[in-house]
Amino acid sequence: MASDDNSNNDLGDNLYSKIVNSFKGIKEKIANDSTTNESVSSALAAELTLISSILIAAIMLRHINIILTVIVVLGLGLFLITNMPLIPTLKREQSDSLEKMIFYIILTLGILITVIYWGFTHV
Amino acid sequence: MNEFIPLMVIIPIVCALLLNLLHKKDNSTKIIAIIVAIIVPIIPLIANYGLHYFGGHAPLIANSTLLSSLPAEIANSTLASFHPAITYSFEAFQKLFIFILGIVAFFAIFTSLSETKRTSGPLMFLMFMGIAAVTAILLTDDIFHMYVFFEIAALAQTGIILTSNTEDNYETALKYLIVGSIGGPLLLLGIGFVLGVFGSVNITDIVYSISNGIVDPLSPTVLLAFGLIFFGWLYASGLPPFHTIKSSIYSKALPHSAALLQGFTVITFIAIGIVIFRIFSYLPYFKTLIIIFSLLAMILGITMAIMQTDFRRMLGFLAVGELGYIGLGFGLGTHLSITAGLFQAANEIIITALLFIGFGTVMYLTNTSNTNKLGGLLSVNPKLAIMVLIGGFAMAGVPPLNGFQSKLMIIQASLDSGFPEISIIAILVSIATFMTFVKAFHSVYLKPKPKDLKLVNSSVPKPAIISIAILLLICIILGIFPQIATDPISQFVGGLI
Repeated sequence: MASDDNSNNDLGDNLYSKIVNSFKGIKEKIANDSTTNESVSSALAAELTLISSILIAAIMLRHINIILTVIVVLGLGLFLITNMPLIPTLKREQSDSLEKMIFYIILTLGILITVIYWGFTHV
Repeated sequence: MNEFIPLMVIIPIVCALLLNLLHKKDNSTKIIAIIVAIIVPIIPLIANYGLHYFGGHAPLIANSTLLSSLPAEIANSTLASFHPAITYSFEAFQKLFIFILGIVAFFAIFTSLSETKRTSGPLMFLMFMGIAAVTAILLTDDIFHMYVFFEIAALAQTGIILTSNTEDNYETALKYLIVGSIGGPLLLLGIGFVLGVFGSVNITDIVYSISNGIVDPLSPTVLLAFGLIFFGWLYASGLPPFHTIKSSIYSKALPHSAALLQGFTVITFIAIGIVIFRIFSYLPYFKTLIIIFSLLAMILGITMAIMQTDFRRMLGFLAVGELGYIGLGFGLGTHLSITAGLFQAANEIIITALLFIGFGTVMYLTNTSNTNKLGGLLSVNPKLAIMVLIGGFAMAGVPPLNGFQSKLMIIQASLDSGFPEISIIAILVSIATFMTFVKAFHSVYLKPKPKDLKLVNSSVPKPAIISIAILLLICIILGIFPQIATDPISQFVGGLI
């Protein structure tokens, strides 16, 4: 029983410390300008908003299939938390660089046309 | 009088051309700009509702004498109900939005003239050209005509950034043109496919052809046309993946110009959105696509806005994020949701203009928009700071302001449609908006003034304060009496569904 408790605590500690450590990691990764309390708390808020919104949005898959929703939400949750902090990467990808803008634009166009054209005609 | 309908477009164009000719004469430019800026919001108020056919070419079906004299093959064919001329449609909905655009344009021009030492003829030319183009986009029932004016609006926006003299403005304008060279032609290609399939670019004719089974609505060409026009819509409105360049544009324009630019974007967004909804809403997954991009805009907009240290860029991302709420209205596709989305559009134009002009005064005072270098500006003009704060509350959706009313309607609409998740995300994003705004307000106004911060100007010009006060008053009035805007919108949406 006691060992069970310990293992639970370990698991809790590990996950908890992983999240906390990833927050600490934000400090080194964000922006080139001076890091202040404000910028770290902003990054934290952005990180939490991002993860919670994506997970909540994923729940909408229940309209298609409930089992699929459970798998996707759990998988996505695990993926997002293990890859924290996400915001520095997200910020870097949404910079004013023309190459990145064009890359995402062409990617979206490709996905959109594929989904609409083949998706509607063959599904 | 229906003659006023085309004048809503013609007057700003004539004014723009005149200002371009007189751009070296400071006083004449100023006087003409102010007079026309006053006239622009007045015309929709005195114009009668109705249709305007350019050249007077009404559909054959509207003229029974002419119709009876034609051979039966023509009189009984689809051709009789098609619109041969470019048609402008003016109803209470268009009246509301053209009036709001006029008001925002007036305050943007009024503030611009007071904050710049020398009146810029080219800037005034571009502003009026943009106003004319966006008004035409809202009025027209012709998809190709809409595209032409959309490109004029895009060029006017690029020009406005070029006249701003801010850091890297040329680079951003060039990037926008390059990105536009992907989005614009694809939109045109989509319109070309539509013309090829339906034989008309009039939206009413296209809808008629679909609803009467004249064309196959699920043919690959129609689907491809939808994909291309939808992509063009993303470009026109600044939804992801175009949100980065759109927010960049807002941050490189001078704040009073940005107040007008965001108005252009919101109106283009709803005008093309309505067209897409009218033509393609029968397609499966149509609503899902819109909801996906709207949620993306909201999530990416707000997460990026929180991270910004430049308040102009922060407002740019917030403005893009708020577009997601309007998109949700179209995506949910119910009467209440579209009314809520369009009401949100009206509110967003006013609130974002208020915030751009409000924070623009900070730039006028200090010549910087970096929140790390700012602080303690509350002492310069406390009343102005409070007005900006209330404006920010309106954007975040704090009762009893207008943003609260429209966001509440969207939340109710999504609950009614069986999507409580969307309601939760909408609330979450509102909370994050509130946090972002309070953080920026604290950095600019409340935090101790940095020692090296020097004021370039000692006080804020009165026109800017008057503009902010009136825009705030409109926010409060629309918050307490939302039916002023929702009644005409609801009536319009009734005809749309």
